[in-house]
Amino acid sequence: MLEKVSSDTGGLHADTTSPLNRRWLRWLDRRLPAAASVTLNHRKLFVLPTAAGMGFLLLIFLLWLLGTNYENNLVLALAFLLVGLVVILPVHTFANLSGLRLRLLEVDPAFAGDFGTAKIVLERTGKRTHERVRLSWPPEEGVLVDITTGEPVDVRLDLPLVRRGRVRAPRIRVESRFPLGLFKCWSWVDLDVEFLVYPQPKAPGPLPWGASVGEGEQEKSFSVSGDDFAGLKNYQAGDSLRHVAWKQFAGGRDLYSKEYASGSDARLWLDWDLLAGRDPETRLSNLCAWVLEAERSQVAYGLRLPGQVLAPALGSAHRHKVLSALALFPVKGVMG
Amino acid sequence: MSVHSGQMQTLLPRESLLWVFAAQFVVLLPHFTHLPIWLVFAWGIAVYWRLEVFRGRREIPGRVVKLVAVSLAVAGLAMTYRRWFALEPMVALLAVSFTLKNIELLSRRDALLSLTLAYFLVATLFVFDQTIPYALYGVFSLLVVTAALVAQQGSGSARAGRAFGLSAKLLAQAVPVMLVLFVVMPRLGPLWAVPQNTSAASTGISDSMSPGDFSRLSKSDKPALRISFDGPVPPPEQRYWRGLVYTHFDGRRWSEPGITGNRWAGRRSRLHREDEQSLPAVGPRYRYQVIQEASHNPWLFALATPHSDTSGVRTTAEDTLIYRNPVGSRLAYDVRSWPRESVPVQSGLSAAEQRRHLQLPKSGNPEARAWATARRNEGMDAEAISQALLAMYSRSFTYTLQPPALGADTVDEFLFETQQGFCEHFANSYVFTMRAAGVPARVVAGYQGGEWVEQQEYLLVRQYDAHAWAEIWLPERGWVRVDPTTSVAPQRIRDGLQSAAADEFMQDALLPLHKIAFVTRLRLQWDMINYRWYRTVVSFDAERQEGLLRRLLGEISPLRLAIFLGTPVIMALAVLLLWLNFSGRGPALAPADRLYLRFCRRMARAGLPRNPGEAAVDYARRIEREWPPLAPMALRITLAYEKAAFADDAQALKQLRRLLRTFWPLRLSPRPGTTSPTPVSLR
Repeated sequence: MLEKVSSDTGGLHADTTSPLNRRWLRWLDRRLPAAASVTLNHRKLFVLPTAAGMGFLLLIFLLWLLGTNYENNLVLALAFLLVGLVVILPVHTFANLSGLRLRLLEVDPAFAGDFGTAKIVLERTGKRTHERVRLSWPPEEGVLVDITTGEPVDVRLDLPLVRRGRVRAPRIRVESRFPLGLFKCWSWVDLDVEFLVYPQPKAPGPLPWGASVGEGEQEKSFSVSGDDFAGLKNYQAGDSLRHVAWKQFAGGRDLYSKEYASGSDARLWLDWDLLAGRDPETRLSNLCAWVLEAERSQVAYGLRLPGQVLAPALGSAHRHKVLSALALFPVKGVMG
Repeated sequence: MSVHSGQMQTLLPRESLLWVFAAQFVVLLPHFTHLPIWLVFAWGIAVYWRLEVFRGRREIPGRVVKLVAVSLAVAGLAMTYRRWFALEPMVALLAVSFTLKNIELLSRRDALLSLTLAYFLVATLFVFDQTIPYALYGVFSLLVVTAALVAQQGSGSARAGRAFGLSAKLLAQAVPVMLVLFVVMPRLGPLWAVPQNTSAASTGISDSMSPGDFSRLSKSDKPALRISFDGPVPPPEQRYWRGLVYTHFDGRRWSEPGITGNRWAGRRSRLHREDEQSLPAVGPRYRYQVIQEASHNPWLFALATPHSDTSGVRTTAEDTLIYRNPVGSRLAYDVRSWPRESVPVQSGLSAAEQRRHLQLPKSGNPEARAWATARRNEGMDAEAISQALLAMYSRSFTYTLQPPALGADTVDEFLFETQQGFCEHFANSYVFTMRAAGVPARVVAGYQGGEWVEQQEYLLVRQYDAHAWAEIWLPERGWVRVDPTTSVAPQRIRDGLQSAAADEFMQDALLPLHKIAFVTRLRLQWDMINYRWYRTVVSFDAERQEGLLRRLLGEISPLRLAIFLGTPVIMALAVLLLWLNFSGRGPALAPADRLYLRFCRRMARAGLPRNPGEAAVDYARRIEREWPPLAPMALRITLAYEKAAFADDAQALKQLRRLLRTFWPLRLSPRPGTTSPTPVSLR
């Protein structure tokens, strides 16, 4: 799993492979195992002074010097009061995060080169409020939230994604410097966030109409969009809304999709072999761009990959199926 | 509510800026009086500029402008102060850094830096003054600066109420630590010599005296000394607080040669060496502690033949005390005073001392000289001449705070023409005449008298108690105090200046407040509070610390000290753990639930607890079954609860509360059964 974290994040954490860091991550894995829902408590939180806090300590020392040298008890008292502040602040900073629950709501698939977004719910488990809580995937800036009411707060957290495939997100940093910014309390939370990353779309040119090569193109065309109305079929999730038989639906019947057929060979096959000669990742990117194009122009499309054939269809479910195939296509061992 | 990435602002938002400026203003305000005026303006302009930048009307100044600003500020500081390592330039430097930083107050880091400096400025305020009003103002500034720090966290915390509330809470929680540290932390004493304030005292006894000087002091009722006694208190006529001795007369002014020019060096050379000083075998007559206000002079005040063990305090050859530095802020010192008779009399004045105490200008005041020579020639001894002179004063002189001006021969004119004056005139003429008669004499300046503050048991000496008197050398008795003023105005010595010069006293004061008894009482009260404050807080030093620790701990041993330090820490940790435990216990209960649980608790105490998971109605039914007398009440409570909890009925909640007020089931007999209902009290 560790390997996965370091290799899959694709350069986000270039230094995660250093031995010290490995040990740190292994320790974190033991102490804060991955879970879809995490409640922060004293076992998971760390508190240390910030740079400003160190400056504050220096200030206290200078005040003490001033008070001692001028034999001024009020200055000394001030210095001691600030020491008191330093003593109680870590507790407040800690309490501000303790009891906060993070729950992973959903993870949307994304394209490589874009941001993946994880939806996370933050909620209180106790009476305590949580102010100025920052969630981030460093070095991203992340989100700053206040959880002051009993209402859970939805947070959308973005992670830049470089490579396609399944990408396991690194640990999320939950940090707060409340109330004075002199101490920070933080945790590294693993919410088991995994992105499905589609290849980065790279347009290779117009859609390959009828240009499919190979043997299997004598199959009967079905549900390829054409001009001739062929009949009604039960609506299935994923069917284009344009083809819904609204008249029938308005007449009180179930939801149907109109089927069109075309005599021509206007079937769209997005074929791995069409893009011979390019390197595999580019081919996947090209196919991805075609998928998006076909979806945009509402043309049913099928996908042919080495060892994998997806029949032509339309709709977001189909799109997801096709793009997932592209995302998870194992490149190694397949020669263009 | 939903949030998405990228809502962070890197620049300081408006409210954070305003808070920083507010904090700066609050900490700078008390310094505005002694900061150069251009600095105040520069600060204002910088703030204005930065706010304009915020509104987008102006740019952050470029490098050239900044460079010019820095150079101007440094030049301004250099011209204003000419020396760097003192407090005032330091404060000015801090103010300048505020000002310059304000123009480019961009990030949170800048703001934090600025606020850290603000804390430091609060401390410098205390170096200038440690009185109660300043301390209170310091607390207020602390509150503001901490609130500004809270406000840096963002919009929610920047609301004034929230920021102040949180700031007050945090500071209040820090107070216990402060108290323990204040008592326990060792006081090391100065690590290096610090330059003192340069601002001269508004009033005070100076290093020279010419007739007329003290009339200025007589107009000030500021406290000068506060003296508490350990043992007997000297009677009013013995309260001569000696500060300075003048031996040199130039015809007009009395001064001390050693202390002009290189002021303390000359004095030091004539200090008694500690080991040389032979303290008399008998005990001291008076033991007391003097708390002296800042005088910006090194001399201290004590009764004759003083000795002090307070560090930095030395005894001079003239039986006065002197401090190693000018007294720049309040100073407390312990003194023991022996009566002069008990101190072994020196065999005689050395020739040099004789010369020093007989010194007179070559010419001037011929009539006084003639009078002195005549008495001498009559064969009178020193005491007789003194008597004659004092008799002359009491015959025809008047005590007044507004004497006519004197010309060149001050002694002659005073003795034989005007014959009106106050202590200085008397001391001046007396010492001159005695010297002219060949009796070694000197002028002593200090305070005389003081007001006894009954409730707090201390003597309050004010500036208007400043006094000058004389000492003459009598071969068999040594130095003897003679106060020529007594012969004219004995009440001055007995009852203080106010009764001696009732009409003239504090005549120039804006309001004749001293004439209103109520105000006088109030002022005395205020002085008492001040005294308390000073004794407990400001002058708390290593010695007193040890005393307090001894009182708290008995013997001071490392173990006890550790326990003393550790107990609060452990207690604090325990409280903290409890708090963490309880505050993490799930959301607050609705009022109706809370009330119902109270009902359940009372029932449980009476011996009929609710079973886990038992619904309220079932419980009520069970009560009815097992203990019928309670049933009506239990039913009503249950109904009210259900209505309040599930129908959000405010009326029902009120009813529930009312019902619970009267519901106190008594403990049941050993085993509650359906057959033997126990009497129930419904109070």
